[in-house]
This record gives sequence, C-alpha cells and structure tokens, in this order.
Amino acid sequence: MGQSEGSPPGGEFASALTAPDLTPSRPVYDGRLGELYAIYLRHVVLMLLTLGWSRFWGRTRLRRYLWNHLSILGDRFEYRGRGRELLIGFLLAVVMLAGWAGLMWLAWVHVFHEKPFADFGMFDIFSLSVAVIGFPLAYVGHYAGLRYKLSRTRWRGIRCGLAGSAWRYGVAATFLTFANMFTVQLLTPVVSVNLARPRISNTRVGTLPLVFAGSAGDIYGRYVGYYFLNIVAWLAAIGAAFAIAGGTADRLGLSSDDLLKLFTAPSVRTVLVAAAVAVGVYLLFSLLILPLRCWWQAYWFRYLVSHSRAGNVLFATAITTRQMWGFLVLNYLIILLTLGLGWPWVMHRTLRLIAGELWLYGAPDGESVRQRTDGGSAFGEGLLDMFDVSGI
Amino acid sequence: MTTPARYYDGETARVLEVGVRPTAGELIIFRLTDSSIVARWPINETAVLGDGSHEGAPPVVRLGGEARLVIEDPEQRRQLAALMPHLGALAEVPASAGRRIVTLGASLAVLVAAFWGVIDYGTEYAVPWLPHSLQAKLGETVYEELAADKDECHGKGLVVLNDLANELARAAGYPHEVTVHIIDGGPVNAFTLPGGILVFYSDLFEQAKNSSQVAGVLAHEIGHIVHYHPTKGIVRAYGLDLLTKLVSGGYSDLMGTLTSGGNILLAMRNGRAFEREADGTGVALLEKLGLRADGISGFFEQMMEKQPKDAASTAGIWSSHPPTQERIAATKRPPTGRPAFSTADWKALQEVCK
Repeated sequence: MGQSEGSPPGGEFASALTAPDLTPSRPVYDGRLGELYAIYLRHVVLMLLTLGWSRFWGRTRLRRYLWNHLSILGDRFEYRGRGRELLIGFLLAVVMLAGWAGLMWLAWVHVFHEKPFADFGMFDIFSLSVAVIGFPLAYVGHYAGLRYKLSRTRWRGIRCGLAGSAWRYGVAATFLTFANMFTVQLLTPVVSVNLARPRISNTRVGTLPLVFAGSAGDIYGRYVGYYFLNIVAWLAAIGAAFAIAGGTADRLGLSSDDLLKLFTAPSVRTVLVAAAVAVGVYLLFSLLILPLRCWWQAYWFRYLVSHSRAGNVLFATAITTRQMWGFLVLNYLIILLTLGLGWPWVMHRTLRLIAGELWLYGAPDGESVRQRTDGGSAFGEGLLDMFDVSGI
Repeated sequence: MTTPARYYDGETARVLEVGVRPTAGELIIFRLTDSSIVARWPINETAVLGDGSHEGAPPVVRLGGEARLVIEDPEQRRQLAALMPHLGALAEVPASAGRRIVTLGASLAVLVAAFWGVIDYGTEYAVPWLPHSLQAKLGETVYEELAADKDECHGKGLVVLNDLANELARAAGYPHEVTVHIIDGGPVNAFTLPGGILVFYSDLFEQAKNSSQVAGVLAHEIGHIVHYHPTKGIVRAYGLDLLTKLVSGGYSDLMGTLTSGGNILLAMRNGRAFEREADGTGVALLEKLGLRADGISGFFEQMMEKQPKDAASTAGIWSSHPPTQERIAATKRPPTGRPAFSTADWKALQEVCK
C-alpha cells in the first residue's frame, strides 16, 4: 500500500482526465510543535490557577492555533468560537443535570423512599439514572459538539455547519451500539457506516454539502475476515502470554506467595522487573493484535475518505497499516508515558498525518458556494464537556 | 506601497488575488490582474481577528462584514501594520517558543508542587476551620445512605457509648458534639464520618472479650474524629483527582485510567497514616482519663488469633491499614487504670440491640 512521497493515489488517472478538473492537492499544516506547546502549557498553568475554569478559553486558543495553521488549496481555516460560549454551554448542561437530579429526588421521595425500596438510596438512583441517560447523551453531546465546532469554523470566510438532529443521532447511535454489543460486534460495519453517514452528509461548507456514498455491504467481507483473524490472534496472544509468564516464574523459582509478596511490598528492582514484563506483554500484543486492528482501521479510514466528496471535490487517502499504527498506538503511548503532557505532540503528529495523507482532487466552484444565513449553535459543547472531555 | 493578499468576499467561496494599498483614510483593495477596485474599507472600520501567537495569518476584516483579507507574508503584514498602527496586531511576533516553554514549564512544576502541598499538608490545618455544620451535614447524608436498609439500636447502651465518646473528645479538646450510632449486626467494625459521627456495628460488642476492648476501639475512633480524618480523607481524594485532571489539561481519559491506580495508592498511604495517628491518640486519651488503655492492642491480638494471616500485612502498599503486628506493638499497654464502663453499663452495651 506504500505511496511514494508527494504522489497522489490514482494520480495517473487524474492527470489523464481533462474534465472535470481533478487537479490533486493536499492540505498544508504549518504549525510548529514548540508554539503549540507554549499555548498548551499556558492553558495547563491557567487551569491550575483557576481550578479548571479557564479550560473554555484555553481550548479556544488551541483551536485557533490548530485551525489557522491548516489550509486547503492555499486557504487557511479559521476558528471563531469564544470561550464564553463554551462556558455558557457547560453551565446549561449543569442546569440540565441539576433538573434531572431534582426529578430523581422527587422519584426517590415518592416512590423509592418507602420499603421495599428503602435500600435504594438517593445517590443510587441518581448515579444509575445518569449512567443510563449518560450513554445516549454522550452521543448527543458528540454531535452537538461537532455542530458547534463546525459552526465556528470558516474557510475562505465561509462558515461551515452541521445539519440534522443531535437527538436523533443520539438515539440511533445508542440503538446501534447496543445492537452491536448483543451481536458480539458482528454489526460493526453497519454501525460504522450508519454513524459516519449523518456526520459527513450533514456537514456543510456554506451551502455546499458533503456527500457520503458508503455502504456496509462494501466492507462486510473484509470485516468478517478481520473478525475471525482477530479471535485467532487473541487466543494465540493469551496462550503465549500465559506460557511466557508461567515459564518465567518457574525459571525464577517463584511461588504464588512469592509473587504476592513482591507485588505488595515492591522494591525498585521489582518495579523495574514489572515494567519490563509490561513492555514484554505489550510487545507480544503489539505483534499479534494491534497490527490487525490497525490494518482494519486503515482500511476503514481509506474507505470513509474515498466515499466522501464535497461537490466536485473528491477525497482519497493511501494511509497504510503502519501509519495507522503510529496514529493509534504511538499516540496512545505518548499520552500515557508523558502523563498527558504529550498531548500537543500527538495533535501535531495527527495534523501532519492528515496533511501528508489526505488528497483532494479538484477545487470547489467558489462562486456557487455561498454563505449560509443561519449562525449555527449559539452555545457549545455543554454535554460533550460533561460526558466526554477527550479531544480538542 | 502595495501588499499582495487573498480576498474573500464573505458571500461566496470565491478567492481573489488582490493588492492592498493604504491611504490616509482607507484601505483600498484591488485586483492584481486589472487593478479594478474590489473594496474600499475605511481605516477606522478595519480590525484584525486574532493575533500572531495563535493565527498563522490573522485575517483583516471590515467591522460588521463577513469579508476577509489574508496576507500570508509576515514581512508584508509588518509593513502594512507600520503604515496603519490601527492594525498593529498584524505585526505581532510571538515570543520565542523555547523561552515560553521554559517559563511556563517551570511555573507548572511550581504550581503542581504548591497544589500538592495544599492538598497534602494544607488540609491538615484548613479542615478544622471548615464549618462544622457542613461537615455534619455531609456525614449525616452518608450515614443515611449507609444505614438506609439497616436497623439502628437505641437504649441505655447507646447513651453509655455516647457519654464516653464525648468525654474522650472533650479530653482531646475537640470543640464539637460527637454522635454515636449503633447498627444491628456485622461486620465486627466501627468507623467515623465527617462532622463527629461515629458508627458501631453491634457484633463488635458480642465479639469483644471485655469492655476495655470496646473502649479501646471507641478511643481509636475518637482519635480519627479529633484529627478530622474523615473530612481530610475526602478533601485529599478529591484534591488529587482534580490535580490529575488539571495537569492532563482535562483532555485525556487515558490519564484517568493511569492515575486512578496512583490515587488509590496515595489514599491507602493516607489511610495508614491516619490509622497510626488514631491508634496513638486513642491510647493517649484513655491514659489521660486514667482508663485502662490495653483494649486497643487486646482487640488487635484477638483479630490476629482469628486471622493469623494478617490481611493488612499481605496487602502491603495496597492496604489502608498498617500491619496488625505493628499496631499491637505500638499500642501495647499494661492492664492498669479504671475500667471505662461499669458492669451495668457494659451489660447494657452488650444488650443494646436485643
């Protein structure tokens, strides 16, 4: 799947065509890691000083930097969100949750307070209800958060946007996720395609809608292969892990009591040995499990990109399994090993990957893409902030 | 002077390669191809969106409009800003990233250390100053949750226990009322909650060999109360959780997973320190009132007899309590002093739930 540097996938066909214009181009990311780190560290310092209340403004500054250092066809994106909009969105989500807590309190007082429900306390009912509503609300929050971000994003001065109902998306996503769970993940292609479609097809650049022409049937064959190979790989990895761990303990002459003692009163040496074992286990799983997962994810990403278009602009990527490994696994390790402080590095790597691997064919007809009259969401990301603080 | 720029009209996604020329009162924007004028913006109506530290090329706009003018070349931006001080933000050059990283990194390290200090040591001094009513409210709420499906015992035994608890607390200079609750059944245990709330399980009275052991356990729990351990524990746990979230920028769920193990270890370390302090204070209070102080070690010895393989010792750094042998050695006292309970009181206590 390797692609030579600077050569677009399918470029030989594109160059042979005269109409429509399918001139290939790539996004350009010209951000610098040092500058991004300086903004991020300022954000973290202010977070400590304000006990987290500055996060709305910090997040906004980071987005401004990342957006404006990414350009397509020579035109930079702009992020024009404001910290106070995020704050208001957060406060609205708090009010919503407080209202829910009030409802649960009433339910407890009038229904659960009396026996035989007396052992079901107020905290229990509230925690349980939040767990139940939190799952769909996280999806609603994701969609609403995406809508807010897009409504504050401009390209060539034109506002982007996301149509569709976040609640409908939340209900569909919850149903599909549970259905996938009950069918032991065999519905993954259906879930992936049906969750990607509203996010892509409802995206607008001004009046220009994006189009997603994917179908679960296209990817089912490969997914089934991945699914069963994955099971075999897990069995092999678990078997190998047990054999190695058991063999090592036997060779060292360690009984289960010895191991327990080592674990509960660890010396520096024990910690080092444990770290070495963890690295060994990671390598084992890396060798057997992760490449397979990355192979599938790279395929899915290529499919997703190549089945999307914006008007007459087509997209393509030749992202490889190795690059997906760097994206999924290395980024994960960077965050983990730097105790979270590697986040700007991960973001920088991700944008460079996008800039290096995403190809666009053609350019939009600027005259026909018009500014939309609606301003998008008034406030942003309250639910997203409440239920999932990952990402920027 | 003409500055090359890209012009977006704000109505369509059309891009125009334009030249920009400032005059006394206007910014003239014209096509580079045929010099036709595209727009004339009064200088006092122009503004720069963003700044050089965040934006790669901050756009110039006419206030109230959607059109934008983007000048990619930093030198051209600087020259335009020199001619139009109103657009000074265009010339803004961010300070060296390296210097900012060093300064901010050092500030972050100092703040983390200070935050840690406030959590770990500050609570030691600050918690007693928290309004007692607030602590009591918290403790009562937790107790109501815990005791929701349990039967509470009343009667003379409860009065006896309450009296001794408050006598010990007063001897320690604790300025608030201590409230004792007795829950019917097991486990053989007692614990404290914020706001001077002490909870006993009645099985402890049945399992105790003598009244000194109950007095010893009570004195140990009063040690927790007079040192405000329950509230300190909660404040520290929440403080460390907050620190973790703040330092990871509030972004990474991974960090939650990674640090929860560390936070548990720290909570356990706090737990062991609290137990040692409560043991020492309990024995000292009993001795101060001239009561038999051998009950605490006696109770631990009885626990060891029942479970020779000490769970606290086995769990090591993962235990919330110090090893029992260590606690026995630290609290060992001769069986001297007057009994904490009269025979009648001890009987009332043993029958408190019957």
